[in-house]
Amino acid sequence: MRYSVLFAMLLSVASLFGADKVLVVDTTVVEQTNAEVAAAKAEATKAKEVAAQARAESQKTMDELAQVKAQREEELATMTAQEEILRKNKSMHISVVGQGVAPMNTSSPAQAYALAKRAAIADAYRAIAEKVKGVRVDGQDTIKNMMMQKSTLRTYVQAMVRNADIIETTFKEGLCEVEMEIVISHADFAQ
Amino acid sequence: MRSRDGNRHFTRRLCPIILLLLFPLALSAGEYLISYKYIVKDATLYNEALFISHSMKKCSGLPQSDLLLYSNGESDLKKVIAQNSAEFLEYIHKLGLHVAYSDATTNLQNSSTTTLTLRTTCFKVDFNDTFVTIVPLK
Repeated sequence: MRYSVLFAMLLSVASLFGADKVLVVDTTVVEQTNAEVAAAKAEATKAKEVAAQARAESQKTMDELAQVKAQREEELATMTAQEEILRKNKSMHISVVGQGVAPMNTSSPAQAYALAKRAAIADAYRAIAEKVKGVRVDGQDTIKNMMMQKSTLRTYVQAMVRNADIIETTFKEGLCEVEMEIVISHADFAQ
Repeated sequence: MRSRDGNRHFTRRLCPIILLLLFPLALSAGEYLISYKYIVKDATLYNEALFISHSMKKCSGLPQSDLLLYSNGESDLKKVIAQNSAEFLEYIHKLGLHVAYSDATTNLQNSSTTTLTLRTTCFKVDFNDTFVTIVPLK
């Protein structure tokens, strides 16, 4: 009986000591977690501020983009308004200047003039074809060991030109210039 | 005895034949195939060629705008065109020419070629006393 009471007392004392230790451990953990929570809160607020800043910046860029888009659309609208379009029941005048030179071995100034004029007419026809039908362009660059070896640019024009009128011809210092005009209408292109 | 107009029937029969034989001499018509091409290289006339030949078979197509050339009794179309080359070339330009242009720039050196072509076209040509009428058939 005496031993049992002693044993019980020892147990209670031991349990008391154990309880004290556990309490001490718990308080430190709680202190640590409080500090971490505070730090996390601070980080979260910082992150919120950064996110708000980023949102504001993205909004700014979106506004700028919208402004640029609107400006571009305005420019396109003005360009379309300025561009000449061949409409039905309307004609369009196209005026070009062709240049040609006489060959070196001509027998007389008259022959030189005639040949230079022929060349100038061909150039004017080419210019009309370029304006009406457009130009095909091919380019090729050859680069070897980081050095340009060869650069080639080719352009092509093919068209049928009818009813072109010569407005003025000038011949000065071996150069002949022919001003040529053509009137095109919608019916010329109708299939 | 035969009367003065005893050969009346004979004359009546012969006259249309004689007229038919003489008509082409007075007004002869023919169909010709004409093509024209000239090449301009680097802004200088390089080559020019005009081909004229009789059509071997009848051409089809409707007559377009005509051209009158002074012939002075000449019945050779090539000679007539040679005499009036400026007018004829201007007329050909009006009819319409195919333009083929190519330009090449290699290592900053440029060269260009322009070719103007009148594709082979059938022309009806009427030779009169002093002038020739040329009409393209399309």
